[in-house]
This record gives sequence, C-alpha cells and structure tokens, in this order.
Amino acid sequence: MPPSFLEERRKAALEVYEREPIPTWRRSGFWTTSLRKLRLDELGPRRYDPVASLDELSPVVTDALRGEELAGLIVQRGASTVYTEVDPALAGQGLIVMPLEQAVEEHTELVERWYMKRLSEKEGKFPAASAAFWTGGAFVYVPRDIAIDKPLQVVYLIDEPGTAQYAHTLAIVDEGSKAYLREYCLAPDFEGQALHAGGFELYCRPSSNVKLAHLQDWGAGEVHDISTKRVEIAADAHCGWVPIYLGGRLTKQTLDIITAERGADMRHNGLYFTERDEHLDVFTTDLHEQGHTTGDTVFKGALTGESRASYEGLIEIVHGAQETNTYLQTHSMLLSPKAKADAIPSLIVKTDSVSASHGGTVGEIDEEQVFYMQTRGVPRLEAIRILVEGYFEEIVQKLDDEVLEAVVRERIAGKLTEAAAEVEEYIAQR
Amino acid sequence: MSLEIKNLHVRTEEKEILKGVDLVVRRGETHALMGPNGSGKSTLANTIMGNPNYEVTEGQILLNGEDITEAEPDERARAGVFMAFQYPATIPGVSVANFLRTAVNAKREEPISVKEFGQILRANMELLKVDPQFTSRYLNEGFSGGEKKRAEILQMAMLKPEFAVLDETDSGLDIDALRIVADGVNALRGPEMGTLIITHYTRILNYVRPDFVHIMLDGRIVREGGPELADHLEEQGYDWIREEVGAGAA
Repeated sequence: MPPSFLEERRKAALEVYEREPIPTWRRSGFWTTSLRKLRLDELGPRRYDPVASLDELSPVVTDALRGEELAGLIVQRGASTVYTEVDPALAGQGLIVMPLEQAVEEHTELVERWYMKRLSEKEGKFPAASAAFWTGGAFVYVPRDIAIDKPLQVVYLIDEPGTAQYAHTLAIVDEGSKAYLREYCLAPDFEGQALHAGGFELYCRPSSNVKLAHLQDWGAGEVHDISTKRVEIAADAHCGWVPIYLGGRLTKQTLDIITAERGADMRHNGLYFTERDEHLDVFTTDLHEQGHTTGDTVFKGALTGESRASYEGLIEIVHGAQETNTYLQTHSMLLSPKAKADAIPSLIVKTDSVSASHGGTVGEIDEEQVFYMQTRGVPRLEAIRILVEGYFEEIVQKLDDEVLEAVVRERIAGKLTEAAAEVEEYIAQR
Repeated sequence: MSLEIKNLHVRTEEKEILKGVDLVVRRGETHALMGPNGSGKSTLANTIMGNPNYEVTEGQILLNGEDITEAEPDERARAGVFMAFQYPATIPGVSVANFLRTAVNAKREEPISVKEFGQILRANMELLKVDPQFTSRYLNEGFSGGEKKRAEILQMAMLKPEFAVLDETDSGLDIDALRIVADGVNALRGPEMGTLIITHYTRILNYVRPDFVHIMLDGRIVREGGPELADHLEEQGYDWIREEVGAGAA
C-alpha cells in the first residue's frame, strides 16, 4: 500500500490530467509545437520482466554505456524497472540507487521530504500525466560527505511502438558530497509512435558538487518526449548540467536550474542535433532566487533535413537577489535550406546590482572556412564534419566524460554522414 | 617541376580581375609578385588554390605539366600546392595540433603514428620558435596577426608543399614578427620547394631574397626582373611603373 502523500499527489495529478486538454505551445505567431499528430489513445504502458544482463535488452543500451564501471544503474524499459545494480561498497556508505517505487516503501520519509518539491502537476497535462501515472522510476540518494567519481546511471528505454512511458527521477546529493549523475533516454529505430512523459528533479544540497548529464537519443521512430527537468542548488553548491539531444520525433522540454541559496553556482551547457522531420522545443530557465549566486548557460544546436528547433533561454533574477552574476548564450547552425532554427534568449531582472547578459546567433558554416580547410588537403565533406564537431566541441568538452564524449562525437559524425549530400549541396549554394 | 600560369583570365561576380597572366615558378626558385592594392595579386593566389569565388574564364594552371585549373582545392593541396593566407579563417573547437594532424593525414594512405607526428611537429615548432602551448589552442581563434601568420608557416612546414604561395604574409606584422616569419620561410626554402611571395611592400624581400620579381598592375604582369627590380620599387614606389606602363600604352 503506497504512502498517503503519494496517493494524494497522484490523485491531484489525475484531476489535472483529466481536466486539461492536449496543449499546443505557441510563441509570437511563428513558432508552434503541436501534438496533433500524436495518437495518445493508441499508446499505453508496457510491462516487462527483469533481465539478468544488459545484453538481453536492445543494443542501444550497451552501445551508450559501453561497459563502463558505474556506481549505480537503473534501467527502466517501458513501464518496468528491468535492471538495477549498485556498488556494494558505496551502498555500505549509504548510497541509495533503486526504483522510486521501491524507495517510496523503503525510504518513505526521505522520499516524502523531497518528492515533487520543485515539480508540480499543476503545470499542464503532461507534467500531470507523469505525476499521476509514473511507474518504476529512479531514486538516487548520495549521503553526506562522500565523493563518488563513477557515474550514477539512470536509463529509460522505449523499444516498442505503442509505448507510453511515464517516468520520474528523484535525486538528492546531500551536503558536502560529490557525484556524477547521468540520465539517458534511449530507443532503437522503430516504426510507429511512442510517448515519454518524464519528470526529473535533482537537489544539490549545501556545498555539494554535482555533475549532471542528460542524453536523449530516441532514434528514428516517432517518439514524443514531453518532460520537465529541474535542478535546485543550495548554498555554496555547484552543479554543471549538460543536456544532449540527439534524436526524437518531437521534443518539448522545460529545463530549469534554480540557484536557491547564496553561493550557489550553476553551469548549464546543452547541445542538440536535429535531423529529418524532427521537432525540438526546449525552454530553459536560469532562476536566481537569492543574491550572490552565479550562472552560465550556453546552448548550441545544428539542424539538417527539414527539422525545426527552438531554444528559448530565460534568465530570471527575483526581487532582492542582488549580486547575481549570470550569462546566457545560444547558437544554432543551419545545415539544410529546409531546416529552421529559432533562438530566443531573454532576461527578467527584478532587482538591482546584478550582472546579467545574454546573446544569440543563428549561424551557418562559412564557405571561407571550408575553402581554408580544403587548401590543407582536407576533402570538402570531412572539412564540414570537422567544422561541425569543432562548433560543438566547447559543449562536448564540458561533459568531462570520455565515454559519453565519444558516444556524442560518433553520433554527430554519423548524422553528418547520413546528411552528407544535402549538407554539401547546401553549403556550396551559399 | 613547375607551377605554370598560362594566359589566365579570372573574374568575380562583378568584374574581370586578371586579364591574361603568365608566370612560371620552378621548384627551387623564389619569386616575388608585387603590385599596388587592387592589382589582382590576391586573386591570382586564390585562383591558384581554387577558391570557388573566382571564375577562370580563359587560360590554364599547370602543376608539373598537369592541368589543375578545374581541380578541387583539396586535390591541389594534396598534389603539393600550398597557400599561406593573408586572412586565414578561424576554426573554432579544432586545436592547431589536431588540425595539423588532419591535414598531414589527408595526404597519406595510412594515418601518421602519434609518435612520428609528435616528432615532426616538435622539430618544426623549434624551427619556427613556436611556443609549445600554441598547438593546443583553437586554430586562429583569438590569435594576434603575428600568431596567425606563424600558424600559416607552421602548416607549410608540416605539409612540405612543392609550391607555396604566400599571400601578403608580411602584412600587419611588426618587425620582430616579420623576422620570425621570414626566418621560417628561409628555413623551408630549398631545392624541393618553389615559392611565390605576394607582397605590397618590399620589406619582407630584405629578409627573403627572391630570384625573380614580377610586378602586377591592373590584372597583368607589367614588369619582370631580378631582385634589383624590388630595390628600384623601394626607392621609386609604384607611380613610376604606372607612368611607364601608361606611356607605353599611349
């Protein structure tokens, strides 16, 4: 029998879900994210049995993890947790890595204290859906004053069309600890629709130092991803967050990073590469709730095919949050005449004595750069690949994670090879 | 072994810039191509390298007798032609070392070993007095004028071209930087390389002595001679040539 706090929250969420229509997101007339092609009624949760080894799962999982040693791992396939492991020595020191469903039973007080502190079912139909319907889920708790260098890994896998996956990750890194958390959303290429509606919340307690990476690679199927991810950073804590978007038919994500107490510092570096008819809509907020906090956000994207990508980045500094220092910039690179990118950095500052600035560009590969590289003997297509990789390098290096960096570089190179003819033609015409 | 320009006519979108240029650079020779701004010097350099912004309407470029007029820039480069740019492009996110390795490998069947590459790179960096940290910086990003030119010469040293065109490599350099670049060019000069130094000024020629000097005016080579021609220009400026050519035409 689940604890009453959870039951109440699910009930409240269900009410919102049933009341709210399927939303359409519009901005300034020319940008619309519409779910009219999503056949929600045809999708449902799919349950699976646990596996003894990752090799029994779709190879996209082992392709992304590459046998790396992990501090803990939770794999959720569809609606079910199918694999869990945790380093026993670290577990002995108090590290908890388990399905959220299980943590609700076994660590009720701890979960109740943090669960949906920063997420709300009231934010719309899909946040309500994940709050009402999530199963499995992931719970990570890093106790005080320990340093964990190996990654804490959460994987959400969708490998069959027709799947509706409602996900919830709750992570807490307690005072003075150091940890690296990765959440991957993966799918093999398949034909048909699927939905991932996810909630993610991470609490970086005072003086903690947390690295966070998100990798989204939903493959070539029609996976719709509507998720909200929030990170709260407490006093004197630091969080470096790198979200990576490498594939998804339609993505609508809200990423918020909140410097909640003095001395909190956030670094938010994201990248996306969209192709074919993908549609990506990401809205990040860098919210400064207290003064003497610092932030830096850089988002970079590239687009091929007829893909659409919108990045909206907001810096919000609340009343009284003086001595805040923050910067946001966004760049997108068009690699196809039919792709469209939109970048909107903005600022809401309700106090004085802050330093906040932003900038944005929509750029394209320069023929002059390509010619220059060709004069060094590098063939045109390779030159373009190197230029795109170089463009992303600033973000990729922020991962500071050899294994994931290699995954990202290889995937980007693969996408460029796939779009080679089109990219080459486009740049030649410019 | 030669780089041969035959009756070359070149235009951009707006107008004809080269109006029949003939020039032969043999391996082992150093040529200086001089001329006032707008005379067509950089157009010639870019056309030799295959810049798609310039259209050859007549004439040929021959490399060791082979017609490369229509070849892609990277084919020309792999065949042994090099150009040091006046304004090299910035390549963000690609370190000098990685770029050099890519360029060296572009000419090879098998990629160069890390060890061999490191040795050649270190030797050339010493030769050109390049700071070791230089190669970990992104190519030309935030480089000073002198650093950009030095990076160009370092690339030339690593690629060992048969023919090198230096497009205004001396412009924007203070005397120290000019000397370092000139020393680099002198160190790389030799029987294996033909060099075409394109310059507006004579000062680099005080350090890199050319075998032949050509003067370009309005898309044509109007005077040719030995190094003394450069000395003459140093004293007289370009007006003298303009007057003589003008008088000849009249």
